[in-house]
Amino acid sequence: MITDVFMRRQALILGTMSFIIIGVLWQLVVDFGIVNPFFISTPGAVWQELLVQLQDGSLLVNTAATLYSFALALGLAVVVGIGLGVLAGWFRDAEAALEPFIWFKYSAPTVAFYPLFVAWLGYGTPTIVAIAFLFALTPIYANTLSGIKNVDRDLKRVATSFGARPHDIFFRIALPGAVPVIVAGLRLGVGRALTGVVVAELFGANAGLGYSIAYYAQMLQTSRMMVPIVTVILLGVILTQALSYIEKRTEAWRVVHDN
Amino acid sequence: MAMVATSAHDTGKSRAARNWRPDRSTVISMLSVAVFFILWQLAPEMGWVNGRFTSQPTQVLVAAIDVILNDDFFYHARISLAEFSLGFALALVVSIPLGVLLGTSRTARHLIDPPLMALYVAPTLVLLPILVVSLGIGMASKVAIVFLNALFPIVVNTIAGMSEADPKLIRAARSFGASKLDVFVRILLPGSLPSILTGIRLAVGRGVMGVVVGELFVSQAGIGYQLNTYGSAMRIDRLLVYALVVSVFGYLLTVSVRALENRVSTWRPE
Repeated sequence: MITDVFMRRQALILGTMSFIIIGVLWQLVVDFGIVNPFFISTPGAVWQELLVQLQDGSLLVNTAATLYSFALALGLAVVVGIGLGVLAGWFRDAEAALEPFIWFKYSAPTVAFYPLFVAWLGYGTPTIVAIAFLFALTPIYANTLSGIKNVDRDLKRVATSFGARPHDIFFRIALPGAVPVIVAGLRLGVGRALTGVVVAELFGANAGLGYSIAYYAQMLQTSRMMVPIVTVILLGVILTQALSYIEKRTEAWRVVHDN
Repeated sequence: MAMVATSAHDTGKSRAARNWRPDRSTVISMLSVAVFFILWQLAPEMGWVNGRFTSQPTQVLVAAIDVILNDDFFYHARISLAEFSLGFALALVVSIPLGVLLGTSRTARHLIDPPLMALYVAPTLVLLPILVVSLGIGMASKVAIVFLNALFPIVVNTIAGMSEADPKLIRAARSFGASKLDVFVRILLPGSLPSILTGIRLAVGRGVMGVVVGELFVSQAGIGYQLNTYGSAMRIDRLLVYALVVSVFGYLLTVSVRALENRVSTWRPE
């Protein structure tokens, strides 16, 4: 639905307008004294602050730190999630053995275990990566599992009758057929990994966007705090849109049924 | 905690039950959980890991009883529950009408969709520090973060539900003289209920996460506060008790909404 609406021209114009309206409203409520700028700052002040943080390089350093943890966590989640998902999708027994844990992981808010990771790994990058990894793991695993498991039966039967061995079926049918579903899982995983990194950085870090948000919040410097906040939101949108784009491209691999 | 007790119990039973009806997957699932708990129990005793960092199932069980009897457990649980319920109720009250409005008006949707989507896909939790600065470190900021975190899944799914309505049904109703209100109450609302419930189910998880993150970030009471306290005191057994309480709460709520969802999904026209 996101892309559907974004694609149309009319949507683009109205969408741009809505951001402008938000900016104008934001400035106006402060100008008319409805809201104290101490709490929400103003677009002008945030812009000024953005330039400052760009110039002194702190925004770049923090973004790089966040992206570094993000890439590590997502990489791990992709390897483990797709690995386990393929295993569980191909071998029923593996799925049964993993299921209780995944089921628990689904219902438990991972952040509740954050203090446990701090006790194990201390404050800093290892804990941040661990939390973000756990955040991103579930959708990647679940989608890979369902992609591999729901391999087209007819295709499988045809391949088998033409003498395909199990590993042929796996590499030629199950895996390619699962790609679109796996990419959809990645899209969800990307958003969750970013959330995980930023939340963990809010709690304790010495660099990163989440860290600088928490830092400026403690100083009660709202304008400065808004810069990393807006950056995180932008990053989330860009990363998710990029994955949506890839998802559309891989859509062609999906097996289409003509009844 | 309930999981610890039942799984150990059930494994014993299912081994005996294997004679009359062996369901391979169930047996493997239970064995796998049993192996996990046995390893967790044995590892510190065999010196494979430091028990101070991992605790043990038996210790967690003892700690659970201890926490419930003499740790102001109900005081902290009540605060977290109040924050969650208030924030979630607010989210419901705002998001469903908003979703309905956006779902039925094309212009409104085009206007609000981009910022809405931005906040839906981006980590809403980054707004927490602003909320703390504006609303203080008490309950208000947690209510607000639960509200914000739970809001967007419901709005987005309500919009989706509204636009999923069968145009043929609407046209038929219109030609039989149904007013706009009739169409809304009799077709759009029931038709979109399954989708709205899906949004609510997703929002439950995000709401629970909001409470925990809000309280972990800064608080004076609540489950998240206790998590922090026992984390820094290295009381892993008690930490796990509180983490499991939150997990069980989130799980039960999600399962109930899903049950409702399944009942209502039969309303959807085939």
